[in-house]
Formats: sequence, C-alpha cells, structure tokens
Amino acid sequence: MPEWARRWGWELLLAGILIGVLILNVSLSPFYLGVQNVINTFQLSIEKVIVAVIMAFVIVNGEIDLSVASVMAFSASVLAALHAAGAPFGLAVGAALLTGAIAGLFQGFFVARMGLPSLTVTLAGLIGFRGAARILVEDQSIGDFPEWFDRLGQDPLVGRLSFGLLLFLVGIVVAGIILHRTPFGRSLYVIGDNSEVARFSGINVARTKLIVMTSSGFVAGLAGVLFAARLGSVRGDLGQGFELDIITMVLLGGVSIFGGSGTMVGVGLSILIVLNIRNGLGLARFAITTQTGVIGVLLILSVLVPNLVSRFARRRHRGPGPAPPSGGRTTDQGGDLRGREHESQQATVE
Amino acid sequence: MSRIGPGSSERVGGSRRRRLGLQPERMRELSLLAIIVVAVLAFSLVFENALSGRFFNRVTTSVAITAVLAAGQTVVIITRNIDLSVGSIVGVTAYLTGEYLGDHPDAGLFLAIGVAVLIGGALGLVNGALVAYGRVPAIIVTLGTLAIYRTWLIEHANSQNITADTLPQWLDELPRASVLSFGEFDIRLTFAVAVLVVVVLQIALGRLRWGRWLYAVGSNPDAARQAGLPAQPLTLVAFVVSGALAGLAGFMFLERFGTITVFAGSGLELASVAAAVVGGVSVLGGSGTVFGAMLGAVLIALLDQSLLRTPQVSEFWRDAILGALILAGVAADFLVGKRLRRRWAESRRSLSLGATSERGAVTDA
Amino acid sequence: MKKHRTLLAVVAGLALVMAACAEEQQAGGGGGQAEAPGPGELVTIEGGEDMSGVFIPKATDNPVFDQANDGAVEAAEELGAEPASFEGPPSAEDIEGQIQIMTNAVTQGVDAVMISNNAAEQIEPAAQQAQDAGITVVSWDSPIPSGADAGESLFVAQVDFDETGEVMADMALDLLGEEGGEFAILSATPDAANQNAWIEDMEAALEDPKYENLELVDTVYGNDDPEDSYDQALALVDQYPDLQLIMAPTTVGIAAAAEAMQDEDLCGQVLVSGLGLPSDMVEFTLNGCAPEFALWSFTDLGYLTYYATYGIATGQVQAVEGAQFEAGRLGEYTIEPDPTRDNGLRIVMGPFTVYTEENVEEG
Repeated sequence: MPEWARRWGWELLLAGILIGVLILNVSLSPFYLGVQNVINTFQLSIEKVIVAVIMAFVIVNGEIDLSVASVMAFSASVLAALHAAGAPFGLAVGAALLTGAIAGLFQGFFVARMGLPSLTVTLAGLIGFRGAARILVEDQSIGDFPEWFDRLGQDPLVGRLSFGLLLFLVGIVVAGIILHRTPFGRSLYVIGDNSEVARFSGINVARTKLIVMTSSGFVAGLAGVLFAARLGSVRGDLGQGFELDIITMVLLGGVSIFGGSGTMVGVGLSILIVLNIRNGLGLARFAITTQTGVIGVLLILSVLVPNLVSRFARRRHRGPGPAPPSGGRTTDQGGDLRGREHESQQATVE
Repeated sequence: MSRIGPGSSERVGGSRRRRLGLQPERMRELSLLAIIVVAVLAFSLVFENALSGRFFNRVTTSVAITAVLAAGQTVVIITRNIDLSVGSIVGVTAYLTGEYLGDHPDAGLFLAIGVAVLIGGALGLVNGALVAYGRVPAIIVTLGTLAIYRTWLIEHANSQNITADTLPQWLDELPRASVLSFGEFDIRLTFAVAVLVVVVLQIALGRLRWGRWLYAVGSNPDAARQAGLPAQPLTLVAFVVSGALAGLAGFMFLERFGTITVFAGSGLELASVAAAVVGGVSVLGGSGTVFGAMLGAVLIALLDQSLLRTPQVSEFWRDAILGALILAGVAADFLVGKRLRRRWAESRRSLSLGATSERGAVTDA
Repeated sequence: MKKHRTLLAVVAGLALVMAACAEEQQAGGGGGQAEAPGPGELVTIEGGEDMSGVFIPKATDNPVFDQANDGAVEAAEELGAEPASFEGPPSAEDIEGQIQIMTNAVTQGVDAVMISNNAAEQIEPAAQQAQDAGITVVSWDSPIPSGADAGESLFVAQVDFDETGEVMADMALDLLGEEGGEFAILSATPDAANQNAWIEDMEAALEDPKYENLELVDTVYGNDDPEDSYDQALALVDQYPDLQLIMAPTTVGIAAAAEAMQDEDLCGQVLVSGLGLPSDMVEFTLNGCAPEFALWSFTDLGYLTYYATYGIATGQVQAVEGAQFEAGRLGEYTIEPDPTRDNGLRIVMGPFTVYTEENVEEG
C-alpha cells in the first residue's frame, strides 16, 4: 500500500462514506440539492460543529471536556442576565465570552495543576455550570436582544454565508494549521500519546493542558453567544445534551479517545457526514431518533469494518500470527483497545 | 480521560498496584466514607430530618439503581474500557420486562428478574463482542449502541407507554418490601439487592482468579497478554456483567416507577460513570473497587437528596451547588488519597522490585 | 396547483399581518380573497383540495401526542387531504429538533405546519421563515409566544388557559374540602411555557376567597422525567410535614408522584392531582392515590387543529379576529384575540374532562 494511502487511510474512508451519504440523500429527497439547504444544514448545528473543532484539540491532548454544553448555557445566560439588567450590550457580550474562558480555566486548573482526571472534573462542570445558568435565568426566557445581534445570528453576512458559518470555516482552517503545522500542535500529540515522554522532552505539559482547557471553555462560550443570536433568546436548558453529539463527531473523525492521534481533515469530513445524514434523512422524513440510530451504526461500522477487512487480508496474505500494523490504522492487540494511534503518531511526531 | 500508552500503563500497572484490592484502595474508601459522614452531619444542621430513618430510606432507595449500574460500570472501567450504553439498556429491559409481565401476569419475581438480566446480558454481549473481537474502542461501540438500543426501543414501542395498571399486583408492593427494620430505619429490598450485588462482585473481583485477571488486563494489557491471560474473553465477560446488571437495574426501574416511557433510564450512563469516578475508580483502568463506586453513588445521591430538602437552597441553585460539592468531594478525596498513597508507597518501596514476578505468579495460579 | 395554494397561503398570511396591524379589517373584504368571507359569517370548512403538512408534537415520547395525530389523520381523511407527516423531536427538551423539522418543512415546500411548540421564543426565527415562504403556521397545545409577530396564524388552545388554573384550584378544593390545607405544585421543566402560564393562572385563581384555606407552599420541577419527579414528590412530603396534596399539571409528573406516594404508603395522607392521562392513572385513581384529575381530549385537539389549518391554508377561513367556522364533528368556533399573549389569535377547544373512579376506565 502506498505511503499516502496508509497515512490518509482513515480520511479516505470517511470521504468514501461522505460520497455514499450524498448519493443516498440525492436519491431520497428532491429537496436535498439546493444552496439554501446546504446553508441550512450547517446553520442548524453551527454551534455544535464549532465546538467540535476545539474538542478535537482536547481529545488529541488526551483529555475530554464533557462540560461544553453547560458552559455554552452559562455564558449565554451571563449575556442574557446582563442584558436584562440593562448593561451595555457590548459589555454583556464581552462578559459572556470571558465567562466561557474562565469556566475553562477553572476546570483546567483542576486537570493541569492538580492532576485530577478531566472526565471527573468536567462531569462536575456538566452539572455545575448548567446550574450556574439556571441561577441566572431561572425559569425565564430572556430575549429582546439588539436587532443587529439577532441578525448576526440569523441572516447571511457575506454572500449567503452567516457569521457563524464564516467563523466555522475560518476556524477549522486555522485550527488545522495550528494542530498540524506548529510546534504547539505537535506538542499536543506528544502529550496525548504519552505525557511522561512529553515532560522529559521539555514540553510544559501542565501549561499546555491549561491552554487547551481554557480554549475549550472560551469556544464553548462563544458558541453559547452564537446560539443566543441565532435563536433570539436564552433559556436555562440551552444546548442540553450537545456534548455527546459533539464527541461523536470528533471520534468518527478518527481522533482516538485515548489521545495522541487524529487529524482536522478527518474531523471536518466527519462533521460533513453527520450533518448530511441528519439533513438528508430529515428531508426524507425519517424520525430524529432514527437519524441518531443511523449515526450510531455508522460510528461502530466505520471502525469495525476496516478492522475485519485488514484482519482478513492479513490472514490471507501472511498467514496467522503477529503482523506489523497495516493500512487500517488498527492495532492487533487484543485487550488493549487503544484504537488507531501508532501510525498517525509517527506521521505527526517525526 | 487521560491518555493511555505503553509508558503510562507501565506507570499505572507497575509499582503502584501489584496486589489487588490492597491498601491504597482501602484508604480511598475510608476517606470517601469520612466525606459521606461529614456531609450527613453538615446537612443535619441544615434541615431537620437528615438523621431520621425516613431520610435514610429515601437515600438508600434512590441510590439502589445507580449503585447497581455503577458496580457494572466499575467492572468495565477496570478493564480500561467504558460502557456508555447502560442508560439505553435500562430503558430496553425495563420496557420489555414490563411488556412481558403484562402478557404473562402469572410470571413470578424470579422469572421477571431472569428475563431482565438475560436481555441486559445479551445487549452487553453485543457490546463486548464488538469491543473484544471487533477491536473497536469501547467508547465508540457504546456511544453507538447508546443510540442504537434507544432507537430500537422507540421503533418497537410505537409510542406506547408501559403503565402501572398492566403490571401484576406483587410488583406494586415490591418497592415497600423491607428485609430488615430497625425502628424507622428500613433496609429496603431494592437496597439490599444492590448491596448484595456489590458485596458479591467485590469478593469475586478481589478473590477469584478471573477477578484479579480483570485488574491485570486493565492495568497493563501488554503484560497481561504476554503472561497469557485470556484478554478477549475477559473483556467480553466484563461487558456481559455490565449489561446483565443494567438489566437488573432495568427491572428495579420498572418496579420503582411503574410507568415506563421509551426514554426510561436515559442519562443513567453518565450517573453511573459519575458514581464510579467519584468512588475512586480510575478511568485509566486497573484500579478501583466496586465498593468505592457504591460509596460514590451514595455520596452523589446523598448530596442530591439533601439539597432537595434544604429550604435555603432554591430550585434554581441546586445543580450549581451539587456540581461544586461533587468537585470539592473529588478534589478532597484525591488530595487525601494521594498523600496516603505516597506514604504507603514509600513504606513499601523496597518490595516493589518483586512486582513482575508476582504478577507472573498470579497468572500461573 | 401547488403554486396556487402557495399563493393562497401567502395571501392568507398577508391578511393576517394586516389584521394584526389595524382594526380596519373589521369591514370584511379582507386581503383580496374573494371566496374567504369576513368575520361574522360562518364558514363550513369543506374538503376537496389537497394540503401537504407537517404535524409537530412537543415530543414523540408521550402517547398523548399520538392521540393528537390520530385526530389530525381522522380530519385529513374526512377532508380528502393527504394526512400530515408526523415528525417530532424525541424529547420535549430537544428544541433543536423542532427547529430542524420546521426548517426542513420550508425546504420541502409544504403548505402548512402544525406545531405544539416546545422551544418558546426560540422557534420564532424558523416560524417566521416558514411564513415568509408561504407556509401556514398554526400552533396547538403550546403556542408561539410572539404569535402573529413570529409568523403564527392561529393558536388552537386545548382549553382556556385561565380555566386551567381554576380547574386545578377546584380539584384541590374538592379533594381537601372546606377546611383546606397545604399543597404544592410539581411542574415539568422550568422552561415549559404552558406549565408556567397554568401555574400563574392557578396562583391568580387562588386569590378568590372561596379558596382562602388552600395554601400553596412550594413549586418544584420534575423536568418531565419520571425519576426526578418521583424524587421531588418525596422531597416535598419530607419538607412539608403537613402537606396534603401534590398538584402536577403534567402527565409525567402526576404519574410519578402517584407512584411515589403509593410506594411509600402515603396515599391516604398526601393526595395527587393535576393533569393526567387516564390510561396512566387508572390504577392510582381506583386505589385512591390520585382520586381526581383532569385532561382534555388530545384526539379532538389534533382533529380541530387540522380542520382550522386546512381552512386557513385553502383560503376558506381568514385568520382574523371574529372569523367563524365549523370544524366537522366538533362544531363551531370563533377566532378571538389570545388574552395570554400580546399579538396572537386563538380558538379554544375545551372543555376539560375531570376523571374520577367513575369514568377513568373509559378514558
């Protein structure tokens, strides 16, 4: 197998799936093809996909952030509460963005400085920040934002692209460059792969983790503000349950849950797949739960099928027994289910 | 979920925990127990009935379902995996068992539990097979089946709820059944079952050979494989246990709530993970006890139920305080535990050279 | 054909906007729509034209919404139209789902959307978009808060929301007797608009001297989740030793509260009442845990919603104040301003059915 195919095997697979989904969608619904529908597809989930980009950083770094949806609600509630209290709107937006960053910094402190597992810390954050949002907005729905703010969330800004969509498109490119082309990005992979090794090689592990967790909070806060603009009002249950959708997008994109591997191209393709499944099946009038079920099946099959194929191929060509890792980016190591990390680690840390 | 690689698994598996269910974990459990006692005393100053039998009954019955799920979750996490599908398994088993009892009103308690456990175990088997033999990471498999099992239930149920009046009479009386009573303090049957599950698993994991193998597989998979441990069957078993216990929890859910919608049990997956991690089960695998997970479940339920009854805490403040208390509890437990462990490790450093040979001995046994 | 219908819908929409802006509509020659009579004339809605529609429940996990859809299908069959597609989010907390379905409906170019809104104001941009695209938007069960300002033509109210408060207060009085006592409200989520409206109305109703012995001690939220509702019900009992009644205006909450009282042998001591689904409540009503509760017919609500929507979408009925129409087996209705909102129109179906051990098994 040629080197490029091996290196980009996962992304090629995702591209194949995406093409399949697109073909299926065109055949399922006559309304699918249309510029406005493409825009809608993104616009309806714009906050999730923006957070998915930063979540990829968190997971590559070997951590997880379950609190993102609650942080979204918290920062949007700060915006709403300040606005309702009569604060200047610009100040309210600034405070909301700051809230997200502080929430991330707060959790980052426990993870990076104290060494608590991020799963535990952000599970507490999932409950606690949602509660903080509730304190601020209680049972109200706070809206009546300035006209320009609602329009920013709902109307096209450049051509037919909304502000959120532009932000996402620019964001994912910038994120890809940071992750794959800068020393900082490479250090994330090293830490994610083995934080001991990273420490010995002179990387400031705690500081890097703090930066990543804070960024995650900031982006979640930003997404919360965008959500408020798109829907024109804020409630305490804003974004509830988004965290699993977001994590699903990142994992389907080939980012290993154990850290140290994955590419932004994969995450981008995975976002396209998930959004288009939801949109296509929705237009063809399949229930939302069916859409979720289909994504669940896809998530499993996308790893299972290449595993089975590569195992089958190895048996035929080389006979049984231990074999070097091959194209499917899978490991042949029974109980240790680390997924696909060896290869991309080589690819990125050379 | 911190990373796992050959290097760090060496760290986790090597010097710190060689023999299983040993000192550090006892320390962990004790510190958690102390936090629980402090919480009870603190809340007894805040609201009247915190020390009453009635409140004891409330907490113990509300913790039963999460405790059973957390026990199953612990078995899976010990093997360095995770089971996020338990919420959906609870929903499916509660619904199907309710349907079964509606069609077979003569079926008794044990048959009903058997049906629930069997269905749960089968769903766990699917998870386990995909993880162990399909080599798909557990989080991917169970995030997928979380959605798939739920979708199947929704399609199957066709928007019909299981309602209390279709269920046999004996099921109605089950939630009130007590095994023992000390004055106002009851040990309710459901809580007794949860404790029984925890005790049995705790003993099995600590004393039985396969129990210790589960720890070995989770703490250092490479070494475990080289030592010839049946890693794949062990992983499969862990998921079947988790699924079967989720089935049992599904039956408890049915018995407690009577009315079952297609969304029954959703969110319990996070509750079970929360109980396990608060209870000191390491998401890195290879460390933690079922008893600790139960204490984690008790702590969360205690905080939750106490806040519900604290008049000063308004409806809208509850979650924020709960989140803060969980974080404080985990941080305190972690700091205390770390200090104790370090002291323990220092006192035993001289023995740690024997680690490898000792593991060999375990596997040969 | 399709284009024609869309045009009609646009015209109907325009008519609505004009009605909203000025009283001059009262004269009757509304919106340039020759065949649509003005207010005051009774229109019998007739079939013959097709109408493509989407019928959106708050959530698909609650059987009451399936009953509503059954009613809508029944109406569609009577009118010879293709039944509306039944699409909803999996749970009432999933506001994204409703927005997605509403947006997709615009892409699909349907004629009408009938929605039980779970997203409060957050559905409004999508609803406005739908109306701009010529779709008739009718809400039922739970309205769109800004009404006509957010693209809604009409709200089909199950009952007069003010009446809900009174019905609950009456049931409380009935159960607790003249000497009264303490009671608490167990609601769904803090964000549920209709729940909040009903609770407010009940609080207002309690001002009446005849309820002076009823004391509302607390309002708590069970998030329409059986487990949360169950725990909340027991916490109420612990917190208020003199509590005699839990009033739950939600089908999930009332069933969970009744189950909790039954499990803890508290049925004689603390009664449960509110809005419940007879099939869920049979057992608790017969054994005295929840002797009395109320609900309206969701089947009729769906039926009426479809009729009203069909009338507006086909241009037979103008969505303006005072317009009268006859909706199949349910009889006559008059469109009126909705007193609970600033700029919305409604029709009220009514009435409540109060269920006791006498009639709960038929429900």
